[in-house]
Amino acid sequence: MSGLGKALRFSAEFIAGVIAGAGVGWALDQVAGTSPWGMIVGLVLGFCAGMLNIMRAAGELNRKPRSGRSPGDGRGGPDDGAR
Amino acid sequence: MASPVEQFEIKEIVSFGTIGDAPLALTNSGLYMLVVVGLILGVMSIATRNVALIPNRWQAFGETLYEFVANMLRDAAGKEGMTFFPLVFSLFLFVLVANLVGMVPTAFTITSHIIVTFALAMLVIGTVVIYGLVKHGTHFFGLFVPSGVPGWLLPFITLIEVISFLSRPISLSLRLFANMLAGHIALNVFATFIVSLLGAGGLVAVLAPLPLLMTFAMVGFEIFVAALQAYVFAVLTCIYLNDALHPGH
Repeated sequence: MSGLGKALRFSAEFIAGVIAGAGVGWALDQVAGTSPWGMIVGLVLGFCAGMLNIMRAAGELNRKPRSGRSPGDGRGGPDDGAR
Repeated sequence: MASPVEQFEIKEIVSFGTIGDAPLALTNSGLYMLVVVGLILGVMSIATRNVALIPNRWQAFGETLYEFVANMLRDAAGKEGMTFFPLVFSLFLFVLVANLVGMVPTAFTITSHIIVTFALAMLVIGTVVIYGLVKHGTHFFGLFVPSGVPGWLLPFITLIEVISFLSRPISLSLRLFANMLAGHIALNVFATFIVSLLGAGGLVAVLAPLPLLMTFAMVGFEIFVAALQAYVFAVLTCIYLNDALHPGH
């Protein structure tokens, strides 16, 4: 994967975490009427989730060269398990 | 001079009136979706028309595509993952052909709109959640509770895992959308430089071939990105489906 590809990948992971956290916090605010606090806490937790996403994505990229990783047996004939 | 984002504008082609306040129309986006689906259906029906033991070129092409997606799915989700083969194959082909059709000059790129990619991503995550809940019941929520975490940290980690799970459709759609949008804007800007330099006249016009070379190189790169992003979308779909099938780890 190219450098630009990695950059877009990681930034998308991080931004998605922050957006999801803020969204959850905002939704809680709307339901519980705790106006700024849910979103503040949600943003911080979203930041954490974004970092977690990035670390997972980086781990996936690092694991790739070793290959040979295949959960389940797979690797059958062309029509193996197709149905 | 045309703005670089003008190419993403949605235009109505045939209007069918309105439902409440919402307009109901065939837009250029919808038209290109039909074109993409038509292309896929056309090529696939040619590929499966005269099926023989020794495949002709079209059949070999179809079988290569099938093998590619099937191996990807088996690697990520195991044998049971083949239940979802139709979904992954359709998604992969739709995104791939949509990205490639978008590379045709003056064509509209449907995957450069986040609502389209988000709808595709929600389809994937919806499948994961519904299938996971039906198959594993409450055991599916074990996905959010990692093992080997000290007790006092567990509520925090679980909360973060839940948010991380909710962020999946967003990151899945954001990545595809951002790649297509950025690529098409960059192409448009470089192509516009050629016209501006030529229009400047005199000595400056001599420089016009430089952005032309850059545009030429970028078209190749963008075709590569179009294929790569379709692949990434499909691989991540497989990885998420694996969570629905085996929520244990």
